[in-house]
Amino acid sequence: MPLSTASPASVGTLTMRPHRRRRSLVGLVLVAPVLLVVGVFFYVPAALSLYWSFTKYNGNTPPQFVGLKNYAFVLTDPQTLNAFGHTVVFALLSMTVGPLLGLVSALLLNLPIRGRVWFRNAFFLPVVMPLVVAGTIWKMLLADNGLINQLLGVVGLDHQWLTDPGTALYAIIATSVWQGFGFETVVFLSALQSIPFELYEAARCDGANSWHQFWAVTLPALRPTMVFVFVVGVIGAFQAYDQVYVMTQGGPLRSTETIVFLLVERFHELKLGPASAIAYLLVAVLATLSALQLRLGKEKA
Amino acid sequence: MKKMMRVCGGLAVTLGLVLAAGCTSSPQPTPGSSGVKPSGEVVLWDYYGESTPLKDIVAKFSAEHPEITVKYEAYAYDAISQKFPVAASSAAAPDLATIDMTWIPQYASAGLLADLGSFSGGTLNGQPMQSAYSAGAYSAMQYDGHLVTAMMDFDAYALYYRQDLLQAAGLSVPKTFDDFVDVSAKLAKGEGSKRTQAVLMPPSVFHFAGALAREGGQMLSPDNTKATFNSAEGVQALTNQKRLLDAGGLYWGPDAGDYIAGIADGRVAMFIDGPYMMGVLKSGAADQKGKWGVATTPYSKQPGSYLGGTGLVIPTGARNGTAAWVLAQYILQPENQELLYTKSGAAPATLAGLARPALTEPDPYFGGQTPFAVFKDAMATAVAFPNTSAWAEISKSLNTAVESVYLGKATPADALNTAAQESDAALNG
Repeated sequence: MPLSTASPASVGTLTMRPHRRRRSLVGLVLVAPVLLVVGVFFYVPAALSLYWSFTKYNGNTPPQFVGLKNYAFVLTDPQTLNAFGHTVVFALLSMTVGPLLGLVSALLLNLPIRGRVWFRNAFFLPVVMPLVVAGTIWKMLLADNGLINQLLGVVGLDHQWLTDPGTALYAIIATSVWQGFGFETVVFLSALQSIPFELYEAARCDGANSWHQFWAVTLPALRPTMVFVFVVGVIGAFQAYDQVYVMTQGGPLRSTETIVFLLVERFHELKLGPASAIAYLLVAVLATLSALQLRLGKEKA
Repeated sequence: MKKMMRVCGGLAVTLGLVLAAGCTSSPQPTPGSSGVKPSGEVVLWDYYGESTPLKDIVAKFSAEHPEITVKYEAYAYDAISQKFPVAASSAAAPDLATIDMTWIPQYASAGLLADLGSFSGGTLNGQPMQSAYSAGAYSAMQYDGHLVTAMMDFDAYALYYRQDLLQAAGLSVPKTFDDFVDVSAKLAKGEGSKRTQAVLMPPSVFHFAGALAREGGQMLSPDNTKATFNSAEGVQALTNQKRLLDAGGLYWGPDAGDYIAGIADGRVAMFIDGPYMMGVLKSGAADQKGKWGVATTPYSKQPGSYLGGTGLVIPTGARNGTAAWVLAQYILQPENQELLYTKSGAAPATLAGLARPALTEPDPYFGGQTPFAVFKDAMATAVAFPNTSAWAEISKSLNTAVESVYLGKATPADALNTAAQESDAALNG
């Protein structure tokens, strides 16, 4: 039941106002339990965390107000800046390769090929696998004496994928892309199947070949879906933690530390002030990126 | 409508009161309150692993103290280091926990550890606490003048070696560092990560600390305000470690898992570690009984090792600290300290435990050698980590420094200088 807005007083509406007020109050009462839960388990902790970001606090002794010191530290600390850099690389690569793979897979699955249901399920299966499980599996596969190195060793191409600081981050990105591109496949496939067939017919009548049809019909129609995929994907990429924890623990030589991994480390070190400051800076970055993406993705029909 | 509003308002207030009550902790029993025999549930966290003696000790304790129910929870070493500070600062704290002595300064400075003096009255099993331990151990149990832990075992490093492989290769047990490099080069087969019969080389601050002690270096300045591990002695210590790794070592990264796997499959023929590894070897490499020996860690200047151990702590948030202290004292009784050694190979921390007969008996797993005598000697020259709340950060910086040298990404001097800068910032921040 929608909440009513107040209407200008008039003889005709005076008799309606108490009824509308009653409906709005009933609505408030009905959503109150959810609001209470969200308030207690989200907004209150978020407000506390914001406060802690301006304090020196170990979670036990009373917090001491330190102003913007935590933010100044986080913005100049080399370890934090490195972790942010790794996160940006993670987001750029995973949100380039992942959606591209997802789009290509969706285009293939949209063709009338035999067994496409099986392929669709196979692509989506890693998505339902927890990242911890995916990370553990790939950690075993990429280990120095793992299956991948045993196969590559035959042609002399084995490498210390997870113990070489130059390749560890990319190994984790590859694992994340493998686990997640099935989601993008399903989303793009759904969007492809909702594009009106008449648009392709009209394009063919105008002499467009397959490539022209893809460029002039498919891509523009997929634009809202792409915006959704990128917004959700970038937020997820900036929150990368599980696979880093399982596969490398931030090493070797801190080469795979992401911003959330560092945030959790600060939390474990009982540095709730800097940890909260990192969290709120991350919120600001993600909010800015999301707003930018949504603005770039807006297009009048 | 008014009636409905009153009812809903009442429900909201009631729900708020219930939530508020749930967020407050229940009152703690006053420590040492007279006339009240400790009872109830005690939650015990243990990081010892599969070879833990605490399960057996808890079973005996439960039979003798039916009024106290012990809820035993096992955690991996890394997991407990992450869970403990979070739990101890919330309403989910255990009543008693085993923690690494190197974590004491960080936890104590955050106010997470209860003063055991309030539970113990200064005594341990009827004996003054100070006379139950060596002077060094008793000192390590204190932070800022408060007794924050009761040490359960001590850890000092020695060399474990496969005597059968050395004999087969016609090599002697190394005594000097140069011998060590020479023996490792001749014993190891293969190169790099594919080596077998190698010296295990984990890039850890524990091993670097021992190497530093053997070169006569110090971790920090006497007032704990400046890093001194990047001195000439520190650079030499790390250079030595790198030399050993290159000659016949096997790099064992932090993500490589427990190194008992490398021991069991023959990749590792020598390693430097503490007495607790005796229990790990017996359970994880039982088929290698009689093949291992223990010796003083080879050195060029002086013998040395890091000194650590396990402490029993009662968090400040413990619900039943008085009963937890009853359990802690039971664990520290001499016969149970002896069980620590016979079950897990760990070295007892109390003087009474160190005097138990099992510690002087020959061990068939080690070919009839009395291995504990070697660790007792190591303890005499071992150096504890600095007692500073910044140790956790310093330790991480040093781990990264050692790792970068082992991976060939930095020279010992550069790596230690970088770690020293980070450590100085942590010490003075």
